[in-house]
Amino acid sequence: MDTWVEFGRGPLFRLAFSLMLLGLLRAVLLTLQNIAEAWFRCADKSLNIKSIVAETLAWLLPAGRLWRKRPVYSTISFLFHIGLIVVPLFLLAHIQLWRAAVGFAWPAIPAKAADWLTLLTILTGLALLIARIAGRRMRAISRTQDYLWPFLLVLPFLSGYLLSHASLSAAGYHRLMFIHVCSAALVMLLIPFTKIAHCVLLPFSQLATAIAWKFVPGSGDRVAATLGYAERPCWIPNARAEQAVQTPTPPEVVAK
Amino acid sequence: MNRLRRLKLVLWSITGLALAVATARFLFGLGPVTHLSDAFPWGLWIGFDVMGGVALAAGGFILTATVYIFHLERFHSIVRPAVATAFLGYAAVAVGLLFDLGLPWNIWHMLVFWNPHSPLFEVGWCVMLYLTVLLLEFLPVPTESLPKLRKLYCALLKVRLPLVILGIGLSTLHQSSLGSLFLIMPFRVHPLWYSPALPLLFLTSAIALGLMMVVFESHCTSYFYGREPETDTLASLGSVARYFLAGYLVLRFADLIIRGDAHYLAAPGWHTFLFWLEVTFIAVPALLFSLPRVRTSHSGQFAAAFLGVAGIVFNRIDVGGLAHLPAGAPFYFPAWTEIAITAGVVSTATLVFLFLIERFNVWEQRPVDPEAAPLEAPRFHPVGTTWLGTPAVASRTIYSLAFVLAAALGFALLAPRPAFSRGIPPQPVHRARGGDILWIDGNLNGYGVAFPHAKIEAKLGGDSSCVKCHHMNLPRDRNSGCYECHRDMYLPTDAFRHDWHAAASGANLSCNQCHTAAHPRTASNVKTCGQCHKDLIPPGATIQVKTYQTVGYVEAMHTLCIGCHVNLARQNNKPGFAQCTTCHKEPRPLDDAAAQPKTTGVGILLPAYAPK
Repeated sequence: MDTWVEFGRGPLFRLAFSLMLLGLLRAVLLTLQNIAEAWFRCADKSLNIKSIVAETLAWLLPAGRLWRKRPVYSTISFLFHIGLIVVPLFLLAHIQLWRAAVGFAWPAIPAKAADWLTLLTILTGLALLIARIAGRRMRAISRTQDYLWPFLLVLPFLSGYLLSHASLSAAGYHRLMFIHVCSAALVMLLIPFTKIAHCVLLPFSQLATAIAWKFVPGSGDRVAATLGYAERPCWIPNARAEQAVQTPTPPEVVAK
Repeated sequence: MNRLRRLKLVLWSITGLALAVATARFLFGLGPVTHLSDAFPWGLWIGFDVMGGVALAAGGFILTATVYIFHLERFHSIVRPAVATAFLGYAAVAVGLLFDLGLPWNIWHMLVFWNPHSPLFEVGWCVMLYLTVLLLEFLPVPTESLPKLRKLYCALLKVRLPLVILGIGLSTLHQSSLGSLFLIMPFRVHPLWYSPALPLLFLTSAIALGLMMVVFESHCTSYFYGREPETDTLASLGSVARYFLAGYLVLRFADLIIRGDAHYLAAPGWHTFLFWLEVTFIAVPALLFSLPRVRTSHSGQFAAAFLGVAGIVFNRIDVGGLAHLPAGAPFYFPAWTEIAITAGVVSTATLVFLFLIERFNVWEQRPVDPEAAPLEAPRFHPVGTTWLGTPAVASRTIYSLAFVLAAALGFALLAPRPAFSRGIPPQPVHRARGGDILWIDGNLNGYGVAFPHAKIEAKLGGDSSCVKCHHMNLPRDRNSGCYECHRDMYLPTDAFRHDWHAAASGANLSCNQCHTAAHPRTASNVKTCGQCHKDLIPPGATIQVKTYQTVGYVEAMHTLCIGCHVNLARQNNKPGFAQCTTCHKEPRPLDDAAAQPKTTGVGILLPAYAPK
């Protein structure tokens, strides 16, 4: 089991970590290029950069926005993100590993704070999952990965909490450590290719939205219809089935 | 996915893998990513990337000469791809060299610090100049379609002929001088390869290789872009190449026989195998290109050109490192990381070449790029029904994914290694043993010096000579030994022991007994050691003690001994007197365990002439 933990901390970690960094970089570059190409194609080239930056910054702390409509959900979601970002980066044990590998370190948060933040992340993560399952509208726009991610994200936190608190035998400790390392690696491997890529794509979402407003309304559906995908929405498999918003099919497509 | 996209996918993956290895190479140096050593300093990177790359690019100067000087217009259609190949080949040489140089940021030194006696100096200058010439020769291709750069385009066309002439001169110079590089090592390059005629052999084979590379490259691109290769034109190239190939083989064997080294041809062993493999690869295309039916057929041309290219590049790798004979060193075979870098450089160059073909008129007709085909319908990706947009967008999504995945895999496969240095580890010094002859071996690794103390003392003037070397008397001592203050092999140490002076168990001095002011208590307001220890500095000492921060043991010994030895060597006109082996008579222990000093269980077994 020792060897497996070493494998998880060595090659597997390097694979996952470098794939995460490079994959996120790739996601940013591809997004930017796609945004640029879209912008070159649209007729109206005016862009209010100032308001886009202001909107982006405002959404980083959604006080007064989401809070108005869904106060509980947005509070839970906000709390969930704190521990999710702070604990892996500033846990003393993690920093020690980095110090051994790269020779420098950064200040850690106190162990007590790390404990409470971990518990907070686990609880809020489960709460978010329950909210997703319970809400009818939430269910309608949820994909499989939306249900899987809370489990996947909570797993390293749960195993990490147990590792530092439960009294375990040496073999049990190594087994749990292997689970901790592997689940963290799995999270890192998947980040750039799933919705968690929003951790770097968030600053560009307002920009993408602003560009999207410049296109003719419903043009995407027209393209889909031309390609014979009218019945299937392009990115949310179940959303269109509910037919919440009726998009009138353009007559020229019908004629074809 | 068509064959072109598959090819690009593979090339992007290799480039990604090479990115990971390149990161490790520039972070950690050559040691962790190569099998190179002091005994084998040149390997695959020099053999393939540099020497092979230069030779592969020889097609450029041959075809420009054929078309622009001899006006053989039927070769006009292949001159542009040949120049593009040559340009990219040389660019790859420059990049490959950066990987192999220990201090790549010093590559500009060649421009300023001239050593006109060195063939490498000539090679370096020629490569730089010829790379510039090739760039100027190729620039008309991208600029011809840009109206804004019309003036530049016209100017480039005007200087084309002088550039072509300059290119031929530079190419002949350094294709041959790459061979001259190895003239300096007659006992290192295996006799099957070493020859005083290496420059001539290199030039002949480079011409053959350049011609065959044009054939090979043309067939490859034709295959991937689904177009008809210029078989007739290429057949004429093959027909010329066979003479150079045959001529090269005749030269090679004649040279072996004249030098009297022909008996190595039958000597069993690794080098003989390498030699015959190489010769087979060169002889078969010479034969194939001589058969008219093979010469004019697609597959025949391709096979012959491929074999010939492989054979001569193989020759360069052999001469460049694989066929070297360092005394006692183990056998060299490139590490996977070395191969990854080489493949990455080639892949990058190929990708740039494909880009040039698709974007500019390298061929007479630009190929129909299947990825840019406007008629191909965009489609949804089957996984997750993600919209991939136009095929161009889909391609860049997939290529970048392959690149990223390969790079991550590379990082995972690389051996773990801390990305920082912990500095020089402390190595405490042990005192020299012996009497009239001192065995000086500070770290007891068996690599030391038997120092004839009594003999040198007598030579320097008997008892009065102590102060010529000894420059400090520790308290209650006279002519203290070097190891007393130079306490570490490499690190500077403090001869003054502050803790001992302040400690109750030591000298038990209060602060103000030495520090004259209460604040600040630093070295700036303190008594010197000599104020208490009156006989600290022996009168008449040659070496003046300026600071109690001592240099490391090795540096102290070397400065003291070598200083005198250099002067004596000059005075007595005995240049050998100041060389390392004058004192160090032992072979230096290498890092491997076999060379470590043997222990008897009691202590280190000393060399034969050390005091018993």
